[in-house]
Amino acid sequence: MAEDTTPKDRDTGRRNFFKRVGRSVGQAALGGGLLTGLLQLRKKRTAPIEARGRLGLLRPPGAVDEADFLAKCIRCTRCSDACEAQCILLFGPEGGKHQSSPYIFSNEKGCTMCLQCGEACPTGALVPLAEQSDVKMGVAVVDERLCVSHNGTGVCGACHTVCPLRNKAIVQDFRNAPLVDPDFCTGCGLCEEICIVRDRRAIQVKTDRAWDEEVGV
Amino acid sequence: MIWQPKGLQGIRRTVQFLVIVMMITIPTLSRYTNYLGARELDKSLERWDGTLQGEVLGGLDAVLRALPGGEKERVGRMVRNRTQVLEYAQSVRGGPWSVQIGPVSMTDPLAGAESIMASKQLVWVLLISLFIPIIGTVLFGRIFCSWVCPMGLLLEFTDKLRNLLRFLEIRPHNLHFSRSIKYVLLGVGLALTVMMSMPILGYIYPPAIIGREAHDLVFGIFDRIEEGRSGFWMGGLTWMSLIILGIALFEVTVSRRWWCRYVCPGGGLYSLLGKIRVTRVKRVADKCTLCGDCVVVCPMGLVPMQDVMGVECDNCGLCVSSCNDDALGYSISLKDEPFVSSVGTNKTDKEGVVQSA
Repeated sequence: MAEDTTPKDRDTGRRNFFKRVGRSVGQAALGGGLLTGLLQLRKKRTAPIEARGRLGLLRPPGAVDEADFLAKCIRCTRCSDACEAQCILLFGPEGGKHQSSPYIFSNEKGCTMCLQCGEACPTGALVPLAEQSDVKMGVAVVDERLCVSHNGTGVCGACHTVCPLRNKAIVQDFRNAPLVDPDFCTGCGLCEEICIVRDRRAIQVKTDRAWDEEVGV
Repeated sequence: MIWQPKGLQGIRRTVQFLVIVMMITIPTLSRYTNYLGARELDKSLERWDGTLQGEVLGGLDAVLRALPGGEKERVGRMVRNRTQVLEYAQSVRGGPWSVQIGPVSMTDPLAGAESIMASKQLVWVLLISLFIPIIGTVLFGRIFCSWVCPMGLLLEFTDKLRNLLRFLEIRPHNLHFSRSIKYVLLGVGLALTVMMSMPILGYIYPPAIIGREAHDLVFGIFDRIEEGRSGFWMGGLTWMSLIILGIALFEVTVSRRWWCRYVCPGGGLYSLLGKIRVTRVKRVADKCTLCGDCVVVCPMGLVPMQDVMGVECDNCGLCVSSCNDDALGYSISLKDEPFVSSVGTNKTDKEGVVQSA
């Protein structure tokens, strides 16, 4: 009898094992399903990629060129933790190979250029900068048809007021119409954040950074 | 010379919990920085008076202001020294993957290896940042795994869950795999890193994932609160949480500590670095009664009283504190001593079949 039960036990043991593996896989799938459901609830602070295309996204101040940046950045969130303005966002899963790497969407939040992100970066993906004028994230471009000061529907001057390099990067023309000097403009995007033309900003930061197609549109 | 510390496990557990607390505190501190920088802190504190996030932010504020320079006197009243407090709040960043505490910056060697190999450049900042972890590993072995790694803590709790399951007479399986899987994975991952010119292993390495997810979670919660919605607690998690969940589930049902023992590429790198470690667990052969207690507790599935520990031991010290005969302890030496005895043991793993050698 005793010898009889041994192989049977082993058999049931094996069957049990498969059953249990099956059950655990099922549980994993269930948990996965639940969590993916919850991920749909993940709140997007912005809809950057769909909204603007590649030209709307900036890398934080001091970022090395894109290929090098992707290689160096270890996605550690330190720059985002250090950001005083909370303008540095991290790509979600939609970012593909950019996932968890930092970007700035100046339509929502411009960079105050506290330059803490460069100090925070452990890998040299963001180079520490000494001066605000060393920052070169992009260049603000004014759409003269949209800008109320340019097209004659009003007098604004908000971008000039908020510009950290006032009277250098943005100088004012007749009726406070902003004129951007690309040599001085750092692309911080504070002007874009504040622009009173809310639907499509009359002043937008453009960058010629080589974003990949994956993130592009 | 053998050192048998008492109460080491308590300290270890405290450090592990402190790491978890840090992981939540740092992103919260970052939001604090944000509110303070935007001059919205007092408004936020007022609005959130009595709620959890209000208490947490208020507590952080109190701590930071109590630090030297955090407050300054102006016409007989103490006021917040905004610049100094901002500086304090901004000087703590990151997670288990890479952390900066004031002037001290530490980065996981795996992150450093990946960054260097992907960009093919040596950066001073990174090398300085790697210094402490590498020196620590050379001195004490894989202590990151046993003292810091949040996944290690999670798996120690799932270990307890396994004990509970066994107590309920549901025997969870305990499969064994090859320990060299982790070195293969490390090699393949680093090769992929070089080929794709981007860090790959950071996406599957649990401490990195947990750090990022904690960051996203806290930020997501604050984003929701700011919008006036109730803080949905799963706020900002991504697919990477599934990896953590998967590892834990597999650990509970199929194989004990499988990730740390067999798969973890970061653990593999720490093992390799710790090959030349100075602190090792040693056995006093005369005192050992072959009771097998240390075998039962070893999370790495080693036989402390018999094995040459080699690269796999993570110096957690569980075997040292479990030994009732003072036969195990830390010692300072560069070599393991092989076990020489004709007497066998009658226990293997905690869950293994009892067998006599």
